[in-house]
Amino acid sequence: MRCTDIYIHPSLLGQGLMVRISFDGVTGMEYWANYSMTAIFFLLGLALPAAAFTVGRWLRPHHPSAAKIITYESGVDPFGDSRVQFHVRYYLFALLFVIFDVETVFLYPWAVAYDTLRQDVGLFVLVEMLIFVLFLFIGLIYAWKKKVLEWK
Amino acid sequence: MEKVLLDYDWTVMAPEIIIAAAAALLSLADLFLRENTDRRFFSWFSLAAVIAAIFFTVSRFGQQPYEILGDTYRVDDFALAFKTAVLSGVGLVFLLSAWGVRQEEIRFRGEYDYLLLAAALGAMIMTSSADLITLFVGLELLSISSYILAGIHRERYASNEAAWKYVVQGGVASAFILYGMSFVYGLTGSTNLYTIQQRLVEAYQTGYDAFVLLSLFLMLLGFGFKIASAPFHMWVPDVYQGAPTPVTSFLAVVSKTAAFALVLRIVLVGYIFLYQMQIWQQVVEPVLLVLAGLSMVIGNTAALHQTDTKRLLAYSSVAHAGYLLVPLSTLGAVLFESTFYYLIAYLVMTMGAFTVAALLEREAGHGNISGFAGLSRRSPGTAAAMTVFLLSLAGIPVTAGFFGKFYILMNALSTQHFWIAGIMVGTTVISYYYYFGIIRQMYFRPPASKDRMRVPMVPALLLVIGILGTVGLGVVPEWAVHWIGDLQWMSALTPLNAGPPGP
Repeated sequence: MRCTDIYIHPSLLGQGLMVRISFDGVTGMEYWANYSMTAIFFLLGLALPAAAFTVGRWLRPHHPSAAKIITYESGVDPFGDSRVQFHVRYYLFALLFVIFDVETVFLYPWAVAYDTLRQDVGLFVLVEMLIFVLFLFIGLIYAWKKKVLEWK
Repeated sequence: MEKVLLDYDWTVMAPEIIIAAAAALLSLADLFLRENTDRRFFSWFSLAAVIAAIFFTVSRFGQQPYEILGDTYRVDDFALAFKTAVLSGVGLVFLLSAWGVRQEEIRFRGEYDYLLLAAALGAMIMTSSADLITLFVGLELLSISSYILAGIHRERYASNEAAWKYVVQGGVASAFILYGMSFVYGLTGSTNLYTIQQRLVEAYQTGYDAFVLLSLFLMLLGFGFKIASAPFHMWVPDVYQGAPTPVTSFLAVVSKTAAFALVLRIVLVGYIFLYQMQIWQQVVEPVLLVLAGLSMVIGNTAALHQTDTKRLLAYSSVAHAGYLLVPLSTLGAVLFESTFYYLIAYLVMTMGAFTVAALLEREAGHGNISGFAGLSRRSPGTAAAMTVFLLSLAGIPVTAGFFGKFYILMNALSTQHFWIAGIMVGTTVISYYYYFGIIRQMYFRPPASKDRMRVPMVPALLLVIGILGTVGLGVVPEWAVHWIGDLQWMSALTPLNAGPPGP
């Protein structure tokens, strides 16, 4: 399959970049054929570890001793249980982190393009972002009042 | 000249803005109010917001269709009609909640109201967008809020179970919808439904026919879950029974209406060419009709041996989803009109039935059908109201339900689908048994106690609204039919901007 042209239509820029990839002369059968690559990789992924372990078993000498069969932990003697529990509070902090993470990701390109946007759209571009930040701020107040920020 | 944000008339979004602002305001108020303050006025405040939103929605009827940002938001008669229905349903749910949801039972009483508003906002977006992404965001806003609402009764085991089942199965259904949508995007390179409308035909004719149908069936699978049709109905009885009764009525009425708006818009705009190419009649229609028939048979027969009122109404809801699927499958001439009429009829009669269910649940402390025993002696008015709702649900003449079913039946007969019409009539007769079972309880069984049942003002008002709607739509259906018939339904299917974007 050949990708012949990728174009971005200017009228769509306002609603987010829209890229259409058009294919020429591709029939439905060929489209299915693309998935054969996925199938091959899937099978390879299954076969590789199985083959590696099997071949390893054939080649390596087998003389276990007490010290050798200890779980390998980078040369340090293993300690503690293999099942590690995290405090549920981490989960709340992670959620809260995601809110601000998304906000940063969203604010950064906006800030970079601010001058251009300002010339095109006017002050509304600021108002728009303030609406977004306001809603996130309500989220923060919610978390604050529900005592998510306190470590108890 | 390109349109920028400020060139759009944002006042068309007034209903959505009102609901979003009310939800934000209530969430802040809930945080800053003292914990023991009675938050029941939240429901009244929300009701006022909903009424304001209804006002702004209704006042736009008869005006030219309008779109914002490439159809991501769109007001046409289709959107306005469904939005009015959704908002009316939400209004009635708030009325029921103002009385039926107590702070001593549900600790986070404030959260209940603004989650319901958020769900309503999602439902509104689902009715008035023509962009896959926006529609999906609306759907998820509705779904996620509903998951929490189903489990808002945290101390009750059944409520937890309902929320858990709902979130797991709902998540799977959403995944299927999204997977179907990804195929649509892959084939057309657009999320705008009207661009999809044009490019999907090309895709179909250039050898991607299997993918076009695959995308449609993947989405229908997820939609089948959202409208509660068989065989995707397994969540319905458990969730309807476990959720607090006002939430159940919301799921039955508002979720179903919004989901039908979404299905009609996506399927009819995107895939109508299949009908013109005769593929719909050969491939899609049989599948949809089998779903419809299955829903009617499974819903109505499973309801026969239910002992819990809400569970019975849940199976009845599955059966009604089956009836509602018939016009969509056959694509008759009055597809929009009959679907919409049925949805309004379903709204009034189901809200009424759930109000009575909530009254009895509070009175008896359980949701068993035996709570209806001797109701005619304890509260003749409530018993009479319930009789009207049940007769309408069963489809007995001079009620809204009868005319709705008749309208749908005409749809099936005029398009020569006699077997589905046969199943519809047959299962309706079966449904008489369990609907009349409740009537028998009310009139011929001795009551558990001789005390008269007090019906407070708010549920009484709901019952009156329900009776007026049910009987009104049944006795003079012409009014509603004329009003519905005058709407420009087809405007939902045609793009506003001439020509597709891009070469």
